[in-house]
Amino acid sequence: MESNDTQTNGPEEQPTEEQQPPPQPQQRRLTRSREDRVIAGVCGGFARYFNIDPVFTRIAAVALAFVGGAGLLLYLAALLLMPSDEGGAVVDTSGQGRNRVLVILGVGALLLVAWPFLLGGGIFLAGVGIPLALLVGAGVLVWWLVSGEGPSGDSRDVARRALLGIGVIILCFIVCVGGAFAAAAGPDWLVPAMVITAGAAVVAGAFLKPIRWLVPPALALALAAGVVSAAGIDLDGGVGQREYRPTSTVDLRDRYELGIGDLIVDLRDTDLPAGDVPLEVDVGLGQAVVLVPRDVCVATSADVGIGNVRMFNRDNGGIDVDFQDTPEAVPDVTRLVLDAEIGVGEVRVEDLEGGFEFHDGRFRGFEDRDFTERDERAVCEGTGERASG
Amino acid sequence: MRAARPDIPALVAGLALLALGSVLLLDALGLIDLGFGLFAPVACAVTGAILLANGLSRRA
Repeated sequence: MESNDTQTNGPEEQPTEEQQPPPQPQQRRLTRSREDRVIAGVCGGFARYFNIDPVFTRIAAVALAFVGGAGLLLYLAALLLMPSDEGGAVVDTSGQGRNRVLVILGVGALLLVAWPFLLGGGIFLAGVGIPLALLVGAGVLVWWLVSGEGPSGDSRDVARRALLGIGVIILCFIVCVGGAFAAAAGPDWLVPAMVITAGAAVVAGAFLKPIRWLVPPALALALAAGVVSAAGIDLDGGVGQREYRPTSTVDLRDRYELGIGDLIVDLRDTDLPAGDVPLEVDVGLGQAVVLVPRDVCVATSADVGIGNVRMFNRDNGGIDVDFQDTPEAVPDVTRLVLDAEIGVGEVRVEDLEGGFEFHDGRFRGFEDRDFTERDERAVCEGTGERASG
Repeated sequence: MRAARPDIPALVAGLALLALGSVLLLDALGLIDLGFGLFAPVACAVTGAILLANGLSRRA
């Protein structure tokens, strides 16, 4: 049987260098650092134990301090319990009996004193401390991706990189919003041309002088424009809530358009002729509501980027929704041929009776009522009798 | 005389941006119909290529 133990062949034979067993890895101990310390070396000790830059443990401690003082409590507990490089801990935890009981009682007392701060102030301050820490971390990561300068070095270097990274994030956000607006309101070719130009500049820079910092804003611009294009958002029709109540086919337009907001086309009092009546609605971001008389057959073709199509009591939602429901109608029945284009939002067709209020995407006054069941085939055949909900 | 070696991550990122911009331009010209079904994989592929090139070059 093989053994890892060193064989001794006699007192005169000394083991050569090759025969000596490999040195056993020294067990790591979590101790307070004497050399790398700002207050008591707790953060330095943790950083050394986990082999990371002490800046991160200090940022975490400061961020936790905003969480109702949890960082201060933990620091105090670590100060009491962690031994120093030089010797023992402030409180000796190695012993048995009385010492251990005292430590448990002490930590319990600390928690008892601190819990109102942890629960009360923490909820408020966590809204600042944790997002701040996340922002700093994101800044370091982004700058690492952009420049290749990793999170190493002294605290001043890391802070500089975090600030530069946060600057890139802010720049990306501004470009993202501006790009989305330009894609929705400007000429269709504008943003693609800007992205292609930026790409060409980055390619040329790869051979001359790399301009990597241009990549994140250009990518943000392209992604924002892509989402706007894929959703089909167009701000040409304006912004706000629009209600149209045509009384006759003379007042009824072929097309109703809105950029952002709620568009309501109420046809319940419109004198509609028998046969097909075409209607187009186009909303970039928001909701299109079409209210029809109960005896009107509705043929719907709806294209929704992200959102929902609600036809009376039927729902169809998701991404790239293509809803087709085109029943045939008998000649003496009015058939509304609805063609809806919605970027992000909902198109809704209802045959509600009576007055209503429509705010924030909801019908006021109808919320507690079930909407009526509707047999579309019967309506289109002119024999529609619907049970009231 | 040898040409300078290009910066690979920047080259990949630039080409990826060119590809993404071309897709957007084709949609703007009405030659393709860009929906989320097409845009989502293209955006993921472009972002992934840029991150991959960046990570691999750093590793090398």
